[in-house]
Amino acid sequence: MHPGALLNLRRVLALPAIAALSVLAACGSESAAGPTDHSQLVVGILAPFTGADAVLGPAYYAACLPAVRVINAAGGAYGHTLTCQKFDTRGDPADAVPAAQQMITNNPNLMVVVGCTSDEASPVVPIMDRAHVPHFCMTGQSEFNKSSAKYFHRLVPPDEFDAYAMVGSALFKHNFKKIALVFGNDPGSQAFVDPATKAITALGGTVTINQAITLGQPSYRTEVTKMLKTHPDVIFTEALGGTDATYLKEVKTLNGSMIPVMGTSATIDPAWFSAVKDAIGVQDLVNNFTAVDLGVSFSGPGYTEFKTNLDASKDQFADAPKYSQRGSTLHLYDGIIMTALAMDLAKSKDRTVYNPKIIDIGNGTTGAVEYHTYKEAQDAINAGKAVRWVGAGGPTNFNQYNNSQQGYILVKYDTSGGEVQYDTLSQAQTNQVITAGGG
Amino acid sequence: MDLYIAAFGFGLVSLSVIAIAAVGFTMQFGITNVINLAYSSVMISSVYVAYAFNHAGVSIWLALIAGAIFGAVFSFLLNRVLYTPFQRKGTSLLGMVIVSLATSLMIQNVLLAIAGPYNVSYVQPSGGTIRLGAIVLTVVQVLVIGIAVVLMLAIHALLTFTRLGKAMRATAANPTLARNCGIPTSRVIDVVWLITGALCGIAGVVAGMNSDTFAVGNGPGYLITIIAAAVLGGAGQPYGAMLGAVLIGEMTELSAAAISADYKEVVAFAVLVLVMVLRPQGLLAKRGALAAAG
Repeated sequence: MHPGALLNLRRVLALPAIAALSVLAACGSESAAGPTDHSQLVVGILAPFTGADAVLGPAYYAACLPAVRVINAAGGAYGHTLTCQKFDTRGDPADAVPAAQQMITNNPNLMVVVGCTSDEASPVVPIMDRAHVPHFCMTGQSEFNKSSAKYFHRLVPPDEFDAYAMVGSALFKHNFKKIALVFGNDPGSQAFVDPATKAITALGGTVTINQAITLGQPSYRTEVTKMLKTHPDVIFTEALGGTDATYLKEVKTLNGSMIPVMGTSATIDPAWFSAVKDAIGVQDLVNNFTAVDLGVSFSGPGYTEFKTNLDASKDQFADAPKYSQRGSTLHLYDGIIMTALAMDLAKSKDRTVYNPKIIDIGNGTTGAVEYHTYKEAQDAINAGKAVRWVGAGGPTNFNQYNNSQQGYILVKYDTSGGEVQYDTLSQAQTNQVITAGGG
Repeated sequence: MDLYIAAFGFGLVSLSVIAIAAVGFTMQFGITNVINLAYSSVMISSVYVAYAFNHAGVSIWLALIAGAIFGAVFSFLLNRVLYTPFQRKGTSLLGMVIVSLATSLMIQNVLLAIAGPYNVSYVQPSGGTIRLGAIVLTVVQVLVIGIAVVLMLAIHALLTFTRLGKAMRATAANPTLARNCGIPTSRVIDVVWLITGALCGIAGVVAGMNSDTFAVGNGPGYLITIIAAAVLGGAGQPYGAMLGAVLIGEMTELSAAAISADYKEVVAFAVLVLVMVLRPQGLLAKRGALAAAG
């Protein structure tokens, strides 16, 4: 065969090959005209759904359902519809690590993970970071105050800030000086003890007793008797999974009446309310219990969109509407929306590409306009505008460590379990307690 | 001193609940040769059956009976449908442990799907408190102690004075010989599962009444204490389980008073380990009602 003929033959064969490669490349690329890949992506809820902290997982699942509903109704995140999938950590690092590994291995289409409480954040954050999975954690552990994990995000303050807010509320608002610390012996609850102790002592208060109680025991009568003998003005507590219900019922029985109790933001929870209400009676709970919570207004167009879609999610999760005023539910909802908008902005489903954009969406870039509903924000992005997401939980202010926080409100329950704000800590009071606690 | 007296009084309540559960568990093992790790799952299931009745408007005391009946029937069926076929195939004791563990996990997860993870409570009369010096107990707690005493006496009477009790002891000692002597061992074993299942159900419901709140997740926690009491007293020995319950119940409360709530289980289980080192067969081995002759 003539060499020139061979060259021509090669050229002829190359043409369809180039055409085929072009088609394949177009299929795989995320062009400016929009994605051609519309595969469904997974929002993982990595949290305790069983075990002593099993009440936490449903609150985060309740965040995912309305977010996915809103995003899918708008055509998805960069054209990808989403679905929520639960991954149970049992609130135990030993179970959380394999759960996280299986979640990542079995779900290459993972978009974002929410949950990861203080029970399991320490071991699972590095796993998710290595796998380049953006995640929003509901942990208050101080080790994440300056985390180097690029894919880690936190929309809640460190636990010690919960403790500082409780101390501020007790000392400045209620004039309680003698404080009993009754926290579960799980790592998440114990994180409050040291900062609370330091702040109380430094501001002239007294810790009458510090009890680390084993969760899920059938009785705490001896512990309660011991605590009552110290005659505290108030009990600071976070002991989840029914433990507070049992403990406080025994306080009421052995003391003859309730004494004031102050809880962390995790005690503002429908499951906690229900258990404690059944144990001590709704009136005693309403009259004697206060808590601190994340500064959320529960109003505005972002909250309305969240609430509407949360209520509509009750077909998938009957208890979903109960989480309408749970700070963590609102914040994780915002986390998922911000991630979806980051995909819209990056025009990519590649996690390494859209992860940095989450900060841009949360904080807004120069000239950004605030948006409160997903569809409007998505349209603005598609129109080339800079967007700042201010959703159900209010504005986000990520620092260099992807931490964002908004301060505290002082709250109590009404008789139906709704959260009622009765006061707030001023910035000066908050700073005073933080300084006293060494924060 | 008042604190220790109060803790001793609280220990009476704890040991009562443990005793009812541990006697049922140890009789199951002693007579049927099954270490039934699904015991706590049957227990928590019974708690929820009583809860369903209670929240349908039935008094807690009638709901307690419903829980006991459920525990009895469920345990009976568990043995007939699951354990007996495995035993007939010659499954080893360790194999049966694995089967019962798997069964436990299945029951718990099905129950979790039905009942959810949330804590719930019985509707029960507060009934006021009874003070005896430093000891302060509610009326319900006093009744729980009373129920435990009555049940322990009934078990003692059953094993000591009735033909059924003697048949149980014979079956426990040597099932083949008992069968050759004309004892219908399979029927005896059926009755044992019914009786121990009822004890399991009652223990669960009184535990729920005592703690005021419960969730599906409480099940595994029960098992550890039950096994500890049974092993401490001598596995398979009802009186041993009673003694084990007394020691575990009182030690946990008194150590919470003396040291710290952090260490109450540590102290109780440290004593268990110590006893196992000094007397591996348990405190009352070969002395209980189910012990082999000689």
